[in-house]
Amino acid sequence: MESISCNNCKETILVDSAFCPTCGSNLIKKKRTNSEGNLNSIIFFYVSIVVFIAITYFVNENYQENFLAEVLIEGFFALIILLFSLFDLKEIIALYRFPKISIRDYLLTFFTPIFTGVTVYIGVEFINKVVDPDNSINTYAQYLYLEHPLAWGIFFVAILPPIFEELAFRGYLFNLLKRVTNARNTIIATSFLFALVHFSFISIIWIFPFGLLLGYLRNKYNTLWLGMIIHFIHNLIVLLLDYFVFNFTIVGT
Amino acid sequence: MEENQSTNENSCSFCKKEMTPPDAIFCNHCGHPENGTDQQRAQFFAKRAVNKTKHIDAGKKIKSARNTLFILSGILGVFGFFLYFTTNDIVTLGANLLISFIYLALGFWSKEKPMIALLVGLLLYLTLVVISAIVDPSTLYRGILWKILIITFLGKGLYSANAVKNQ
Repeated sequence: MESISCNNCKETILVDSAFCPTCGSNLIKKKRTNSEGNLNSIIFFYVSIVVFIAITYFVNENYQENFLAEVLIEGFFALIILLFSLFDLKEIIALYRFPKISIRDYLLTFFTPIFTGVTVYIGVEFINKVVDPDNSINTYAQYLYLEHPLAWGIFFVAILPPIFEELAFRGYLFNLLKRVTNARNTIIATSFLFALVHFSFISIIWIFPFGLLLGYLRNKYNTLWLGMIIHFIHNLIVLLLDYFVFNFTIVGT
Repeated sequence: MEENQSTNENSCSFCKKEMTPPDAIFCNHCGHPENGTDQQRAQFFAKRAVNKTKHIDAGKKIKSARNTLFILSGILGVFGFFLYFTTNDIVTLGANLLISFIYLALGFWSKEKPMIALLVGLLLYLTLVVISAIVDPSTLYRGILWKILIITFLGKGLYSANAVKNQ
């Protein structure tokens, strides 16, 4: 049977013991304290992200079409995620390995984002037309002020978010939640919180199930690569559709 | 018969579970000082009495947090209809009903999994406070006492659920 050392008297005890048989030290209390520490970290991490996103709203409002503001926002977001990840470095690094993946999940990884990208694009466009026809946002058009808008769009929309959002939600947050609850609840909670930080109530409807898929694959293979690939293909398709719509519909007319 | 007797001898007289090792001072399952002093026994029963009170208290805090989720659900639902009938804004009604439904679902989920449901409920509430502040920064301090009260109820319920889960 696996044994550990009591933190109080240093005697060897069985790993599933609730109390130390030698000094009577309560081992559950220590476990609870660890669990409370994890809960505090989850709340602190999530609130930090939400507050940061709120700040970016005000920055974007005051510095529209400003390349430096865009770089600083993305840079600070990456820095926040990396700083938090340092506290769980060993577990995070382990998530960047390439596991053996079934053909079914390979197909799921490459075809699901094509489906979600097109479906979400059409669905969101439709909802925007119904709800707010004057305020439809074209992601590609947001980078027209730059010399190579499509290249910058791919960098800011398709490459950076999958890397750092996956690290934040399927990496750091997922690890913390898994320490306080089971895998099923962790997948549900990370998917919901991932949907919530997009600050769009309509988006919850599709980001939540999208997050469930990413969480399922993260949990099954203990890797962030599949999530990053799916996220990248999805964002790239939405951006390319915006590119084609802008060039062949908006500019064409 | 002889085997039964040996099992009984190795079992804790309080929780009746087999002690490992058999000659230990404290039971590794319940912490009862089986081979300890009278003072250690007295301390054990005093701690158990305190923990029992804490457990009852934790149950009350979880229930209060659950009721907070249901109340938030009700308020958002009613407020959504109120706004719809005064401004005719279908989008606000839809958003309010969606959040109201999520709070309701979290309230029911907290009966099964209180810790995770209350954690998600608390983070949802904090997100809504921040979103409201983006739309109108003055909402941050408007009704601040209510906000503190809601966060306190949800937070206390969350940490109590965590304590109960680890007991």
